[in-house]
Amino acid sequence: MTEQAEWFRQLRVEFIAAWAIAKKDMIIYYLKPNIIVSGMLFPLFMFLAFAVGRPAEPSVMIPGLIAITILFSASSIEPVSIPIERRMKTFDRLISAPVSLHAVVLGESLSGFLYSIGIAFVPFIAGIVIFGIPILNAAPLIIGILLTSFCFATMGTLFASYPTESPGDIMSMLNVVRLPLIFISGIFIPIESIPSYGQFAVYFSPLTYGNDLIHAAYSGTTYFNPLVDIVMLIVFILIFQFAANRLYKKFNE
Amino acid sequence: MTAIIGSQVQIRQRDFKDDTVNAIEVSHLTKHFGQLVALNDVNFSVTKGETFGFLGPNGAGKTTTIRILTGITVPTCGDAKIFGKDIVKETIAARKQMGIVHETSNIYTDLTAWQNLMFTAELYDVRKAEREKRGQDLLELFGLWERREDKTNGFSKGMKRRLTLAMGLINDPRLIFLDEPTSGLDVQSNLIIRDVIRDLNARGVTVFLTTHNIEEANLTCDRVAIINRGMIAAIDSPEKLKKTIQSVQSVEIALDPVPHQWEGLRGIATVSEVRKMGDKFRLITEDPQTVIAGVMAYAERHNTRVIGVNTYGPSLEDVFIKLTGLEIRHHGVKTVD
Repeated sequence: MTEQAEWFRQLRVEFIAAWAIAKKDMIIYYLKPNIIVSGMLFPLFMFLAFAVGRPAEPSVMIPGLIAITILFSASSIEPVSIPIERRMKTFDRLISAPVSLHAVVLGESLSGFLYSIGIAFVPFIAGIVIFGIPILNAAPLIIGILLTSFCFATMGTLFASYPTESPGDIMSMLNVVRLPLIFISGIFIPIESIPSYGQFAVYFSPLTYGNDLIHAAYSGTTYFNPLVDIVMLIVFILIFQFAANRLYKKFNE
Repeated sequence: MTAIIGSQVQIRQRDFKDDTVNAIEVSHLTKHFGQLVALNDVNFSVTKGETFGFLGPNGAGKTTTIRILTGITVPTCGDAKIFGKDIVKETIAARKQMGIVHETSNIYTDLTAWQNLMFTAELYDVRKAEREKRGQDLLELFGLWERREDKTNGFSKGMKRRLTLAMGLINDPRLIFLDEPTSGLDVQSNLIIRDVIRDLNARGVTVFLTTHNIEEANLTCDRVAIINRGMIAAIDSPEKLKKTIQSVQSVEIALDPVPHQWEGLRGIATVSEVRKMGDKFRLITEDPQTVIAGVMAYAERHNTRVIGVNTYGPSLEDVFIKLTGLEIRHHGVKTVD
């Protein structure tokens, strides 16, 4: 077998393993109580806390709710599943399999990604059925949901690299990052209205770009060029993926 | 059991064309955790088809060695090769050759036995038809086929261990790492697992076995390495290791009634140590004849009868105790964890 053929064969093996890990997570973790609380209820109550009583139109609030839902649901699976697997020693199974750490990270992220897409459908359908909000442009919505979901799923996997057997340890660290993101990403406060000292932080939040794309589907306008949003989300995914890969390796040494 | 494996699981008879490459080759392996030296210049090799025992007290470096050999941990220096593949530089290629049975029965308790097996098979790139065939054969072999659709959280410890072993064999490995495979198991599970180990060995699969059970190593291993404080203390066949300490012979005696002041047995000429073993005593000595005479005199002095006497050569446990320097506890009685 040529070197190239062997490379492609191994790539196929890596994807099969990643998909196997994702399937395993779906069966085991999707209906765990702490996942339901942190992935479904937490974003809903967060949203209600900030949205109820505000004079905003549903067409403005629904994209925000979709973005928050994705942020919390996508990043909730791995911070629960990986510490539990460390405690049960099943994580050793994954990191001793004949696949790269990239496949393990990808597989773990895939489960958060798919979970998040499923949950994001709830506010999306509510927007159409209950509020009758029209979708002006489906493309940025689809791309926005896919990229933002994968980005935050990978972020969850990155945080879960911290070598602890307690999901609470990782959730605490994660919330220190997730909660501020809501306020610097243009969800409740338009980016133009954020004070100048906060404008700088906007660019470092992947939620800014995801929210911008999702919002464009409902409003028809974006703050950044949509291509910038897409490129930035891809850049964040790559950073999270490679950082996660490096940290899992380091913490196992 | 051998026949069952032979007819159903079809573990491939290994070829030995490339006999120059060892299954495991460890060279100057060293591992530091901060200031702690977990492994210190460890060297050994395991030939193809060999059953190799790795013995040592807790904290000796057994688990660190296995974690390095399976590519989970990287060594500080030195190298390890699996069938000629460097475990650090060619990790995936090396892992493809091996099956791993971790010390803990690390199965997914929210999955069924069948789902656990199929998941492992997918991780090891076992094709669908093959994994379903092997999955069925292995579950039948380990007596779990009837429970295949049950979630494993209801399984007993022995059933979980058997499933863990089945998961380690699902990719038909050339080398299998067994970390304490029979520790704390029921008799049925113990017998099944020991038979499987013997059969794997008979079919040319290399077995790397860590165990606290010295008798298990004595009965199943071609060679044994004893590791202590991160260093290899000895490597040889169990019989040759025993011969290195011929001076450690023993006399086992049973007394009726058992004297309360039995520590006095230590005073018998040439007795270097006394171990209480249930209702018997094991007296370690270089000269069994002198000890037997001394025991008779002791019995007469203490108004007790000698109802049983046996003499023994050194056991692998003696070698282990001597080489690992386990401390004497409780008035001269030694115990092994």
